[in-house]
Amino acid sequence: MREISYDRLHQTLIQDKLDNGLVVYLLPKPGFQQTFATFTTRYGSIDRTFKLQGAAEPTTVPDGIAHFLEHKMFEKEHGDVFPEFAKHGASANAFTTFDLTTYLFSCTDDVAKNTEVLLDFVQDPWFSERSVEKEKGIIGQEIRMYDDNPDWLVFFNLLQAMYKEHPVQVPIAGTVESIAKIDPDTLYQCHKTFYHPSNMVFFAVGGFEPKAMLQWIRENQAKKQFGPAPVVERIFPEEPPQVDAPEVTAKLGVSQPRCFIGWKDAKTGLTGPEQLEQEILTGVLLDALFGRSSDFYHRLIDENLIDQNFSWEYECAPTYGYSVVGGNTPNPQRLVQTVQTLLTEAQQRGVSEEDFERSRRKAIGRFITSVDNPNYVARAFVSYALRGADMFETADVLERITLEQANQRLREHFVPEQRSVSMVLPK
Amino acid sequence: MPSLANFVTHKEGRFSVHVLATDKFRTRHLALKLSRPVQRETVTESAMLPYLWMEGTAQHPSALEITRYADELFGASVRTFINKRGNRHVLEVQASAPEEGTVTGAKEVIEKLEDLLLQIASDPALGDRGFLPEHVERERGLHERRIQSVFDDKITYAMERCLEEMCQGQPEGLARLGYIEDLRKVDKDRLWQVYQEILATCDVHMYVVGHVQDVQATLQRMMGKLHQAFGQGNAPDTKPVRALAIRNGDTREVVESESVQQGKLNLGFRTGVSYGDAEYLPLLVANGILGGFPHSKLFMNVREKASLAYYASSRLDGLTGIVAVQTGIEVGNKAQAYDIILRQVEALKAGDVTDEELDFTLRGLRNQYRQVLDQPMSLTEIHFSGVLAGIHRSVEDLLDQISAVGKEDVVRAAQTLELDTVYFLNNQEVNASA
Repeated sequence: MREISYDRLHQTLIQDKLDNGLVVYLLPKPGFQQTFATFTTRYGSIDRTFKLQGAAEPTTVPDGIAHFLEHKMFEKEHGDVFPEFAKHGASANAFTTFDLTTYLFSCTDDVAKNTEVLLDFVQDPWFSERSVEKEKGIIGQEIRMYDDNPDWLVFFNLLQAMYKEHPVQVPIAGTVESIAKIDPDTLYQCHKTFYHPSNMVFFAVGGFEPKAMLQWIRENQAKKQFGPAPVVERIFPEEPPQVDAPEVTAKLGVSQPRCFIGWKDAKTGLTGPEQLEQEILTGVLLDALFGRSSDFYHRLIDENLIDQNFSWEYECAPTYGYSVVGGNTPNPQRLVQTVQTLLTEAQQRGVSEEDFERSRRKAIGRFITSVDNPNYVARAFVSYALRGADMFETADVLERITLEQANQRLREHFVPEQRSVSMVLPK
Repeated sequence: MPSLANFVTHKEGRFSVHVLATDKFRTRHLALKLSRPVQRETVTESAMLPYLWMEGTAQHPSALEITRYADELFGASVRTFINKRGNRHVLEVQASAPEEGTVTGAKEVIEKLEDLLLQIASDPALGDRGFLPEHVERERGLHERRIQSVFDDKITYAMERCLEEMCQGQPEGLARLGYIEDLRKVDKDRLWQVYQEILATCDVHMYVVGHVQDVQATLQRMMGKLHQAFGQGNAPDTKPVRALAIRNGDTREVVESESVQQGKLNLGFRTGVSYGDAEYLPLLVANGILGGFPHSKLFMNVREKASLAYYASSRLDGLTGIVAVQTGIEVGNKAQAYDIILRQVEALKAGDVTDEELDFTLRGLRNQYRQVLDQPMSLTEIHFSGVLAGIHRSVEDLLDQISAVGKEDVVRAAQTLELDTVYFLNNQEVNASA
């Protein structure tokens, strides 16, 4: 066990690695009523093809299975897991992303019991033909719900345009057709492969007593046998650096068009501190270019090309990365042209020191206030931790990055061959 | 449990300052709420104003200058929006920033942020007579798109349509953002007129949550700033917000067709019970048993047993007393889903409530309210609901009152549910009269 103090944030993190390989992080917040606990496996929608050590051939599983597994973990032979949490006043949930699956609860009472319920249900799979078939109806409606959502559609269409092979472009819940192929055997196989404790992280933040919490987790884990950690090779298809398609258009029953412009990142493969630095640097750059305080944003508003839901995002993972800007627009083609013209000018001129410093200062302030929000801290910390980075170093990285780095990134990242455009137009 | 934090209030006429001193957070939170009756004649203008405020203040005369100034205050987040609470329209500015001492070089950030908040609401950038025409024009376009956007999120749209149909002809049924047809006649003079009326007559509530060293001094300072910003004005004769009365007559059935993959079924119930009533907490528990949680009847029966939906829930609006059920289903399953939902309501009324359902719901609600103590903005919202309903309940009171609710109370409260409106959004062409 070790304690890491972040003096300027007034936070102390406790970290431990158990004998079975599980990594535990605890962030006590004295005075907080709630405990927010998450149990996460490094397994998400992109883990479609993998090869176990000793197997002759790689295995490819149906799209959407990581998310399907997340749903099905909540059902046991004796019934549903939600009442187990409800009995102890906890609110439970789970979510699946491209590269992780997280199970969580938040509670203000019975922390020990809720921690035990969380650890036990995630480590004890039970699937039946009947329950798997039943879930197909529920997830089918979840997929239909996304199908009607223009923001979701414009985003996944963009990923499909940017990526030719990489499974990041596959919708996390899969499709009605792909989930039809899921059966109990495949679910057991994925659980066995990816839910070994050595592939997982437990993180809790809130008003609990950290020494006691660590003790409960150790005792709970010591009671269980997991066998050796599976040696898994995750297989990703060769992805060309260029985008697959420069433009994609869809139609939906909406009042106004949506338009997202994305740049596929050629600089992937980063982990640890380098990944954190690239993410923070690109974030400050995007905010300086397109944020609420940028000249661009106000020019686009003045030209009636965007409204206040215009936003930017940057995602940086070991095998993929992309920047996205966009939102509602009455005229997608003109928005794309204008953004490109503004960007080309910026690349020639460079971001000014004033704009860069303003975005840096803002990012420091926003980071400090974000540490008050347990839900945010838990999600962000785990996501970084699984990529080998420490989110509490954000303020230090923010102080370290330079204008020169930002301008270099501006010229390298936003190149036309890496750009795709996704539009959703009213029917 | 340690004593829970409470707001201290100072009230003068129509002005109130509410301060919650706590050292739990690294962030200071401020909120300014201007509350007035929502009316058909002015709903659109009133809804536009908070967004227009962000176009510029006298000191920071453009949207760009406001946001750049906020960035200087260590990335202070400043947002304005319009809210509808029962029959009240609430124009709101919120701001948050790191507490002084958490970042190097942060001096007087909080006082500057307080001033910025008040300037945004009370000291706009002006032209010859009233608002600048270019600001009004830009905001008119943006507001039109803001209204249209509701249609693009079909879950929200179906809920808004259900409530609109349910409260036809009543202020509670007016659209929070106003109406596109009004925007044609909205001009700068009209907006200025409505704005002046609001400044002179609205109820003004200022909330401060954070490391406040001297609560009394903060109350006095903020009260002084409110008077400076909004002048004087007698306390308006603001009546507590009351629940919608039960409507006589048949259940309204509304079917609409749009290009959607998934049907949306929404049921609106009136109860006649709201936040100010003694029966409110039993009704809150009854709603929790019906559809507030994953252990609730709707989730268990519509989703887990019948596999018809991904979401199936109900929520109680504390001020109107409306219980609204929502679910997304295959269009062809409407009759089955409707039947299952009504059977859950009937079961609740018939006292078919297990000890577990009651116990889980009481625990779940207590958990939600205790968690609110970690969420500064939620604390202000609960306090403000009490202000509007004319009843003060601290979080401690709410926790005690929830614990005291028994099964007979739940069943009694459930009897108040009267099905008022059934709204269904499908993807089939229907007769206008269907």
